[in-house]
Formats: sequence, structure tokens, C-alpha cells
Amino acid sequence: MATWAQIGFQNSASPLMEQLIFFHDHALLILILITTLVGYFMLSLVTNKFVNRYLLDGQMIEIIWTVLPAVILIILALPSLRLLYLIDETTEPSITLKTVGHQWYWSYEYSDFKDIEFDSYMMPSNDLEKGQFRLLEVDNRVILPYLTQVRLLVTAGDVIHSWTIPSLGIKADAVPGRLNQLNVFFNRPGVFYGQCSEICGANHSFMPITVEAVNPADFLSWVKSF
Amino acid sequence: MSNHMNHPFHLVDKSPWPILSAFSVMSLVSGLAKWFHTFNMDLAILGILSTTLVMIQWWRDVVREGTFQGLHTSKVGVGLRWGMILFIASEVLFFVSFFWAFFHSSLAPAVELGSAWPPLGIKPFNPFQIPLLNTAILLASGVTVTWAHHALMENNHTQAFQGLFLTVFLGFYFTSLQALEYFEAPFSIADAVYGTTFFVATGFHGLHVIIGTTFLLICLIRHTLHHFSFTHHFGFEAAAWYWHFVDVVWLFLFISIYWWGN
Amino acid sequence: MSAIVTEELVTAPVDPRFPNQNQTRYCWQSYVDFHRCQKIKGEDFAPCEYFQKVYKSVCPNSWIEKWDSQREAGTFPKKI
Repeated sequence: MATWAQIGFQNSASPLMEQLIFFHDHALLILILITTLVGYFMLSLVTNKFVNRYLLDGQMIEIIWTVLPAVILIILALPSLRLLYLIDETTEPSITLKTVGHQWYWSYEYSDFKDIEFDSYMMPSNDLEKGQFRLLEVDNRVILPYLTQVRLLVTAGDVIHSWTIPSLGIKADAVPGRLNQLNVFFNRPGVFYGQCSEICGANHSFMPITVEAVNPADFLSWVKSF
Repeated sequence: MSNHMNHPFHLVDKSPWPILSAFSVMSLVSGLAKWFHTFNMDLAILGILSTTLVMIQWWRDVVREGTFQGLHTSKVGVGLRWGMILFIASEVLFFVSFFWAFFHSSLAPAVELGSAWPPLGIKPFNPFQIPLLNTAILLASGVTVTWAHHALMENNHTQAFQGLFLTVFLGFYFTSLQALEYFEAPFSIADAVYGTTFFVATGFHGLHVIIGTTFLLICLIRHTLHHFSFTHHFGFEAAAWYWHFVDVVWLFLFISIYWWGN
Repeated sequence: MSAIVTEELVTAPVDPRFPNQNQTRYCWQSYVDFHRCQKIKGEDFAPCEYFQKVYKSVCPNSWIEKWDSQREAGTFPKKI
């Protein structure tokens, strides 16, 4: 969950998010190097008194400042592409969870074993118990097992919504008439929050997503007791 | 006012038509929107009427400037040619967007259509009946307009008239056959994305055929009035270019929507 | 731990015909395949149930309901 004055990402709960954080750090390092270098150039150029009235070109420096940025862009692009395809990669899932965006709540369907179907509304602020988070807690949480490959299918019933859990490094638009697939893999237990990420109407800000990652055995007993 | 200038450029006079055409087109578009939403044609008719009147008078002025005042020098002619080329290029892109929509919907048909193109329940036209005849008509009209052009360049007034007359006639023939086909259509513009892409693409093409035929008809009338010389007849050339463009669009429509798409 | 789970948890497998993020067609094709299979092989033909399992796992329930009622009304857009 995001907390006050937080600048970086939320702690990761999946291997993909770990990779995303590594990539972010990699990109930011390059950004700092470039900003420092260019900042130094600007300062040294405006604070010196050198004059060269016959300067027409400088082939060497022009080659350098063309090739160097190209190399830097490649160094940025390759890990980015690797990550892009890694996120798309499907490993054989153990369960499938379907989620449908509505104005303004999410509904969830587990149909692998028996038909489990429920709606997940935001908890009104005055119903919150101590320790629950305003605008993030829902009445029916999604329960998923950790260390298990989950196929998440996202769609919508009315307008476009978007389902996301930042800790998993996952987000997909929920489009009516289309099924988008996401790969979910929790590497630890916990409760994770997300919010609808596509402006979907008046209560767009009030249809959060709460996922509880539990021990697979506990997940099975939850399924059986549903 | 002397007509002598020290430069080859055409500095246009003050004219009421730009602002009036802007108002006319504004009421035409608002009128179409009103018509489609309230089924009331009043404003659309007013728009069509005023737009037509402005067009007639504006182009009458252009004819006077070009043909009678000699303001269309060869330098100006280059500008006119570039203008027509760019206009047709923009029209090509206009049709590219409809073909894009068509191929987007037909190459991977949505499950709502039963993953099939044409969708179940749509009976498309047989492309080898009226559409094939229309293809032949437009190709023939491409030949006759070229005949007219060569006759014009060789100062043969009679054959230029004959070629142009035949071209206009074929244009009318095409439009009537399209109208007949629309009248007989077993599906409508509201029949899923098939009907929509079909009627929007072929409908806008039909509108362009009507515009092209009108353009050629104006050239025919101007020809009988001896407006064209064998060296100075850009109005005719522009109409011929436009007609070829309409012809090529039809070939793509015929091949992809009528033939491949059924 | 996850080995225990995979024995109990079985879902529709990854289908190489649908390698994209867009899985709409996986759901649709399984639905059509099940009803075709039943029509050709009869309602008691057990292997057809594979398709049913897949489409039940993958299709949103509202889609299944819509298609079921379309088939009853004879307005389903595909010939079964």
C-alpha cells in the first residue's frame, strides 16, 4: 500500500515487480548521469570567457554526441523490452480468476472448482474498523494463494475500467467485450491494494481493489467453506 | 484599373465568398447533425442551398479571372496544380481511414460477429453483377476522359466534346446503378460493422463520383462556351485528375470490400 | 508447498493458439467447440467436457448466460 510522503515504489510482492524496480533504478541511474553531465556542460559553458570566431564544425565531437546518446538509448531499451516480454509470458496457471469492472465496483468469479461469484464494494468510511484503510478497503476481498501461478482475466460490463495492483507490477484495462489476461504470482502473503485506473464515471475513485494473498492450504479451505 | 503587372503572381481581389462559404458550410454541418438527430431537414436544406450558391458564384469568379482576365499565368498554374495535388492527396487519406476501419473489422472479426466475415445473417452483394459492371463503366470513363484530353490538346473541339460527353454520361450511369444497388440492398448501415463500413466507404465514394461528374459537366459546359484552349485548360485537367482518383478508389473498394470481403 | 496445490487446483491450460494478452477468442472458441462436440458426439460424450471446463474457467459468467440465451432464441452468431 502507498503511504504518506512515499517517493519510490511500493514493496514488491511478485518477481515481476522486483524486476520492474530494478529497471526503474537502472533508468534513474542513467538519468542522473545525463543530468549531471549536461548540467556541468551548461554551467562551464556560460561561466567561461573563451571565444572562437572561426568555429564552423567539429566532426569528432559531433560523432560523439550522436553515437553516445544512441548507445545510451539502446542500454535503456534492451532491458525494457526484456521486461515487456517477461510480463507477457504465460506460465501454466493453477487457477483462473475472472474480474469484471462495473460502475462502480469489481465483481470476481472463480469457476475452476465450484462457482464462486461475489461483488467487491468499497467499505464506506464510517463502517471502517480500526486498522482498515479509508478508500482502499472493500467488503469482500479477493483471496488468492501465494507461490501459485494465477491467471487473471479482466473485462468490464459497462464502460472501460482498469484493474491494478502496484505491488504485483500489474495493470490491465477492463474493456467490455474483451478479455485481457494477466499473470499473478505472489511470493509472500499479505494484503495488497489497488485502485481503478481508467476514469470510469462519478465514483471512479471509489472502486478499490483489495487482494489477500494467503497460504495455499488456507486458500483451499476458504474455497471449500465458501 | 490597369491589368499590367510587373510580376507573374495573381493577387486576388476582395471577395465575399470565403466568409459566406464558411457560414454556409457551418449551417450545412449543423443542419446534417440536426437532420440525423431530429429527422428535420430544414437547416440541412438551407445549408445545401447556400453552399451551392456560394460555390457557383465563387467558381464563376475564378473562371472570369482565369479565362477572361488572364490572371492564371503559368506561374499561377503551377500553384493551382500543387493545390489540386495536395487536395487529392488529402482525399486519398480520407479514404485510407475507411479502408483502415474495414480491414480492422474484417481481418479479425469480433466474437460478437461470430468470428466471421461477412457476419452470419449478412447477405453481401454478388461482386460479379452490378459492381463488376460499375468497374467496367469507370474504367471506360477513364479511357473517354483521356480521349477528350488528347482531342483538346490537338485542338479537336468536336472529339473533345464527344469524349467529355461520354465521360459525364458514364458518371451518371454509374451513379444510377449504385442507387439501384442501394435500393435493393438486403442489409442497412445499421447492420453491425459490416453495414457501417460498407455504406460509409461506398457512400462517400458515391458522393465523390457525383462531385466528379459535376466537375466534368461544368468542364463540358465551359468547353461548349470555348473556354479551353489547347494550351490553357487546367480546369479540365483538374477534373480529369479527380476523376482518375475516384476511379482508383473504386477499384480498391471493388477488390477489397465487394470481392475479398464477401 | 505449491506441488500439493497443483494436484488439487486445475484450470484451463495455456493454449498456444491464443498467445496474446487478449484471450477473448480462447473463451469463445471453447464455448463453440463444446456445443459442436455435444451436437456431433451426443450429450453424454465425456471428452466434450474438456471444452466445457475450459470455457467455464475462462469466460465471464455473463457472457455464458448471454450466449446460452442467444442459442435458445436462435440468434447465436455462429452455426453450431
